[in-house]
Amino acid sequence: MKIPVEIRDNSTGEIVQANLFDAITIEHFIETQKEWRPLVIAATRKLAASKLAAGDYVPAHFHWDWTSKEAQLKLLAIHFYGIEHLGVLQGIMKVESVGHVCRLPVQQGKPVIHIDYLEVAPWNVKQIMEALGKRTKYGAVGTRLIEAAVRHSIEEGFKGRVALHSLSTSERFYREVCNMTPVGRDSGKQNLLWCEFTPEQAQNFIGD
Amino acid sequence: MVEQTKRTMTLNLTEAEMNVLEELSAQKELSKTALLRQALRLYQLVDARLARGEKILFEDEKKKARAELVFL
Repeated sequence: MKIPVEIRDNSTGEIVQANLFDAITIEHFIETQKEWRPLVIAATRKLAASKLAAGDYVPAHFHWDWTSKEAQLKLLAIHFYGIEHLGVLQGIMKVESVGHVCRLPVQQGKPVIHIDYLEVAPWNVKQIMEALGKRTKYGAVGTRLIEAAVRHSIEEGFKGRVALHSLSTSERFYREVCNMTPVGRDSGKQNLLWCEFTPEQAQNFIGD
Repeated sequence: MVEQTKRTMTLNLTEAEMNVLEELSAQKELSKTALLRQALRLYQLVDARLARGEKILFEDEKKKARAELVFL
């Protein structure tokens, strides 16, 4: 089943309708490898070869391979969401409902939906497209996926609690755009920043 | 959210089982249905990993003890 969501066409500035869906198949994973990965790698090469200042963006996910997750498609504890527009995959996300609990003191130990992977198509990532000398196509794809995670959490009875390990390149997005609470760095997970939504923050984020 | 069709079943539990279900539900702030759905997700996940030849271990860092959980 698909539900309509709004994303922004950056070429016109207009809002266009895309579809959020959870019937992800191996074909979608293959699409990310075939259509997305070459662009991410090309941008990473260009950025890595250029003179970078501290804090400059270099894609930290150039090595991701969604096809390795095929076996997880059958697991109830793992859910995949995608956003499609004009038949093209614009973003994909993997969430887990088992295996993680909240770490923020006010909700420590409470069940949480963990976003294990979230990737937006490279043509929707400003820094990647700038490195390739092009403009981005669509905006708000990542935001719509985070909203889907919050709604998934509510549906599971987790009251909107969502957590994730943020890549260094996405920390600003989760802290400033999503308003998630940065809880701390996880030494067991490449020192990535663990961020959480409380039910109140989640509700504010989805605006229901 | 992307809505899923749900099916209903009747579940018969002993009083002791129901007590545990109620206790865990309160502790985790989940409804009884949500807790049982979680239990099913966990069971399937563990079963899949065991089928791949992995093991479940409980570790007590203080006592330096490790125990393997044998699963049905």
